[in-house]
Amino acid sequence: MSAKKHTDDNEMLRAHEAQRKSGNMGGPPGRRGPGPMMYKEKPKNMWGTLKRLVQYIGKSKYLLLALLGVMILISLLGLAAPALQGKAIDAITDGKYKHVFTLLAILGGNYLLSSALTYFQGIYASRLAQKTVHTLRNDLFSKIAYLPIKFTDTHKHGDIMSRMTNDVENVSNTVSTSIASLFSAVITLIGTLAVMLSYSWKLTLVALVSVPLTIGGTALMSSIMRKYFIRQQRILGSLNSHVEEMVSGYKTVVAYGREGKSKEQFADINRQYKNTAIMAQFFGGTMGPMMNMIGNVGYLLVAVAGGYFALKGEITIGIIQAFILYTKQFTRPINEIGNQFSMIINAIAGAERVFEIMDTTPENAEECKDIDVESVKGNVSFRDVCFAYKKDEPVLKGFNLEVKAGEKIAIVGKTGSGKTTIVNLLTRFYDIDSGEILLDGENINNISKSSLRKSIGIVLQDTVLFSDTVEANVKYGRRDATDEQLQHALEFAEADVFVERLPEGKDTKLTESGSNLSVGQRQLLSIARAVLLDPKILILDEATSSVDTRTEMLIQTAMQKLMEGRTSLIIAHRLSTIRDADKIIVLADGTVAEMGNHDELLALKGEYYNLYMTQFSGLKT
Amino acid sequence: MIIKSIKERKQRRVKLSVYIKPYIFFAVLAPLFMVGEVMIDLMQPTLMSRIVDEGVVAGNMPIIWELGIRMIVLTLIGGACGIACGYFANYAALNFGSDLRNAVFSKVMSLSIEQTDKFTTGSLITRLTNDVTMCQDFVGMVLRMFVRSPLLFAGGLFMALTLDVSFALVLAVSLPVEILAVLIILKKAKPLFTQVQTKLDTVNAVMQENVNGARVVKAYVSEDHEIKRFDNANSDLRDTNLKVMTLISKLAPVMSLVLNFSIIAVILIGNLQVEAGLLEVGKIMAAVNYVTIIMMSLMMISMSFQSITRASASARRIREVLKCDPKIKNGEIKQSEGEGSVEFKNVSFHYPGTKGRPVLKDVDLKVEGGEYVAILGATGSGKTSLVNLITRFYDVNEGRVLVDGIDVRDYDLDILRGKAAYILQKSELFAGTVADNIRWGNENATDEEVRHAAEIACADEFISEFNDGYDTYIDEKGTSLSGGQKQRISIARAILRRPKIMIFDDSTSALDIKTEAKLREALRTELKDTTVIMIAQRVASVMTADRIAIIEKGTITDCAPHAELLERSATYRDIYDSQLKGGQVNVG
Repeated sequence: MSAKKHTDDNEMLRAHEAQRKSGNMGGPPGRRGPGPMMYKEKPKNMWGTLKRLVQYIGKSKYLLLALLGVMILISLLGLAAPALQGKAIDAITDGKYKHVFTLLAILGGNYLLSSALTYFQGIYASRLAQKTVHTLRNDLFSKIAYLPIKFTDTHKHGDIMSRMTNDVENVSNTVSTSIASLFSAVITLIGTLAVMLSYSWKLTLVALVSVPLTIGGTALMSSIMRKYFIRQQRILGSLNSHVEEMVSGYKTVVAYGREGKSKEQFADINRQYKNTAIMAQFFGGTMGPMMNMIGNVGYLLVAVAGGYFALKGEITIGIIQAFILYTKQFTRPINEIGNQFSMIINAIAGAERVFEIMDTTPENAEECKDIDVESVKGNVSFRDVCFAYKKDEPVLKGFNLEVKAGEKIAIVGKTGSGKTTIVNLLTRFYDIDSGEILLDGENINNISKSSLRKSIGIVLQDTVLFSDTVEANVKYGRRDATDEQLQHALEFAEADVFVERLPEGKDTKLTESGSNLSVGQRQLLSIARAVLLDPKILILDEATSSVDTRTEMLIQTAMQKLMEGRTSLIIAHRLSTIRDADKIIVLADGTVAEMGNHDELLALKGEYYNLYMTQFSGLKT
Repeated sequence: MIIKSIKERKQRRVKLSVYIKPYIFFAVLAPLFMVGEVMIDLMQPTLMSRIVDEGVVAGNMPIIWELGIRMIVLTLIGGACGIACGYFANYAALNFGSDLRNAVFSKVMSLSIEQTDKFTTGSLITRLTNDVTMCQDFVGMVLRMFVRSPLLFAGGLFMALTLDVSFALVLAVSLPVEILAVLIILKKAKPLFTQVQTKLDTVNAVMQENVNGARVVKAYVSEDHEIKRFDNANSDLRDTNLKVMTLISKLAPVMSLVLNFSIIAVILIGNLQVEAGLLEVGKIMAAVNYVTIIMMSLMMISMSFQSITRASASARRIREVLKCDPKIKNGEIKQSEGEGSVEFKNVSFHYPGTKGRPVLKDVDLKVEGGEYVAILGATGSGKTSLVNLITRFYDVNEGRVLVDGIDVRDYDLDILRGKAAYILQKSELFAGTVADNIRWGNENATDEEVRHAAEIACADEFISEFNDGYDTYIDEKGTSLSGGQKQRISIARAILRRPKIMIFDDSTSALDIKTEAKLREALRTELKDTTVIMIAQRVASVMTADRIAIIEKGTITDCAPHAELLERSATYRDIYDSQLKGGQVNVG
């Protein structure tokens, strides 16, 4: 009895562990976020997902076979042990004391073998789990790396992260513990039943009375528990996302004195979480005692029936002894299956969230038939391009633009007029709805994305630097660059002076949030990165918005040189930075409103003139 | 002196146990019920063996029934005790966790920017979620397992010995072996657990960077490079995990081997005793059961040690946060009136941890109430650092910053930050509606006031074009809005506060010139009496200011109106020319 009881304790531990690991699931269900990000209450396609999961585990075929083989052996040895114990006690009862030694020697051999096999089982199971998780994570990451930008733009980052860590971890736990114990539970169940039947079919029938009770109890409890656990996880999700938001936006919280309000909100969610968790744990806690109860009733019934049969002389005492041991062993796997059941459901739900990403169409899907462009001249044309991020809210409506190789084009327009969209489309971060974009006369849809992007150097509005050294960050687009080239790029971007002043120069590690650099300095580094790439087409999207104008001017003098022989697209609010452009385009309402060089546009006295006058209004006198 | 410092250190040491105190009643109740459950658990083997010995073997049906029913009743009571123990344990643990979480969150909300910078956002989030949950689970487990296992151990030992003292021999051999094995394995495993955690952090970090920086990864066609980077981190994690697992895998077979051989030994000894007529057969069964209990409880204890190792790491990380005193101390003065003057007096400042390299040096600047002062300066010259001192994101190292003639360090922080609204370089929006976000400035503002603030900030024009207007839901961090839109919402938020001082930290950089000009005009007419301190890059943004301060390498080199500066400041002329080169001629 005690052995079984302790198994319950182990399960409690394991369940706890699993619950802790799944405790950090992504954000709250978005109020109007995309549907698939909502918290799943039930796996949609349980069997399909299970099948795929099994396929994943099956990738390490030999490991799996070895594990199953070892487990079958352990289960068989486990079945033989009580029989041997029973026989030994029988022998003692019958006074065959010498015979006891032989039996115990066999039992010892059994235990020795079983322990050795248990070691291998542990090794195989953890290897299988680690291998599966490793492959799953790698596959998922590779998948995400090639997903269109739209994916990361429209999904909560916390949720993607959560799938990568918590959901995969959930699967791992199940592979390493649940599958093994489920499998051995089934084998033990069948084996025990067979042995029990071989002893006495009548007693077996009596023992089986507890089975429906166990199954019913497990089903009932797990359905109640699931409800609370799901609610608990959901609340935990919003708790975590509140923390995430408030901590990452802490400066604003402080500046607006919202600490108190934020604490209140936190305490509120925290209270909800606690109350739900108490209920969930309460129901979880009744499982063990209930099973214990059912087990004891079964034991009593067998003892009563056994006593009755012994009285009638139908069965020997030793057989009853053994049978009673088997009765205990019989309820254990059923409990086990019941306990694992909810974990497995959880893992399948996790696997489903993982597979959901895997099933998204990646951008390199039809890559193979695409053209690789080697030597790009840099002629770009947009023809009747229409595009909308959201249906019914078009951003570009029949946009036309011809850029000859080597030309310098500036794009101006109001906030939200679609300037950045043009960049998104040319780099194929997004695909156009209608019309066509040509590079050197070739539709960019036919050019492989990698070779298209390699020919474009891009400096973005939001600087992205990786937590790596300054050098690695600047060499990001061209890892084989020499030190001289690196130095040249830094000098070019006017970044050399401050980089030298950093504690470890080029080898200084940038921090997570880049807090050891000012926003302007970060921009200079990303310019250096683009410079080092030496692309045919250069795109500067507000690349210098946080750089002071004198530094910018210095960069620009160099830029002029850089831009020679290159096609450049410049998006900027500062007219001073774009005045020298060959062509200036004023975007309005998703089309080109005005086009021409600086003087022409001024003479037009239209939109550009207005923008210009606003900036220099103070100068008119 | 020494005594005092020890005493101080003791006071500074934070004990997580104080958070269990309010629930100590439940925390004590749980083990008490556990004692009940354990006692009954311990009685069961005896009862069972009596059922066999006195009932089945002796063929006495009434005894089987009687003992059987007694056993069932006891099981019921034991089960009830177990459920009660579980409930009280969880009640105490979850309340403890909840209070601890609140305490840590409150602490984080009181930290200075300098301190949150040091911890890093990611780490604070993990500490608040993962680590607290870890401690909470640990408390729950302690209340159930740590009482249960030693009790079972002691009880089992006692019962086994009352059956026959000779069984003690078995235990005398097997216990030390088992304990030794557990200690050796866990000692080896301990550092590996920490390693696993670190490797997992790396995997997460690579992932996070890729999700956040997807555009750059793609633009530089570095997907394969990133995949390789991830694979490295991932393989590293797998290998470390396998190392721990291989080690831990040794635990189970060793323990079961010792357990099983103890059972064999018990039967063996029992055999001899029965042969000698000193023992009944049923008692061997019972002894086997008790030995199993003892060994299993040892196994549980060893598992608990595993979780102690893990939880202690988490507890340390939480204590690190809790024992942080906010570097910025709250002042007493609650004077919210004043015209909004700001004065820097001989201010020097360097970022904590970057010794010797001052960001600001001997800064003197006085901004009168209602004045509009712009700050111009090169990248990295200390503009942001300067204005951060006003709202006390950081404190000066030397000199004083005065708001309305009072040192900012003497102000009540809420009052100070209510007086001076700071608009960040990078606008931070929060999940909620547009109106919710603007109301951060003033929770009790009416719809009309919210709209008015948005109008001044030139935000109304695009907000009212949204399908849901002010009720439009903004995603996490406002990803659905353009940079300029986010900035205008942040400005509206600040305006709604009706502050005495508004600080723009380059917070109009993403606005096009026309919109920015309109905004400036609106500020001028609507918020005439508000002091404005504006950091900007564009001359056009600052030209109309009452005065323009030029900051160079951490010192203010000049401060005067546009015309004056143009005449006497070479730097200003330089900046001016860099932007307006040739402009004059054309506009003429």
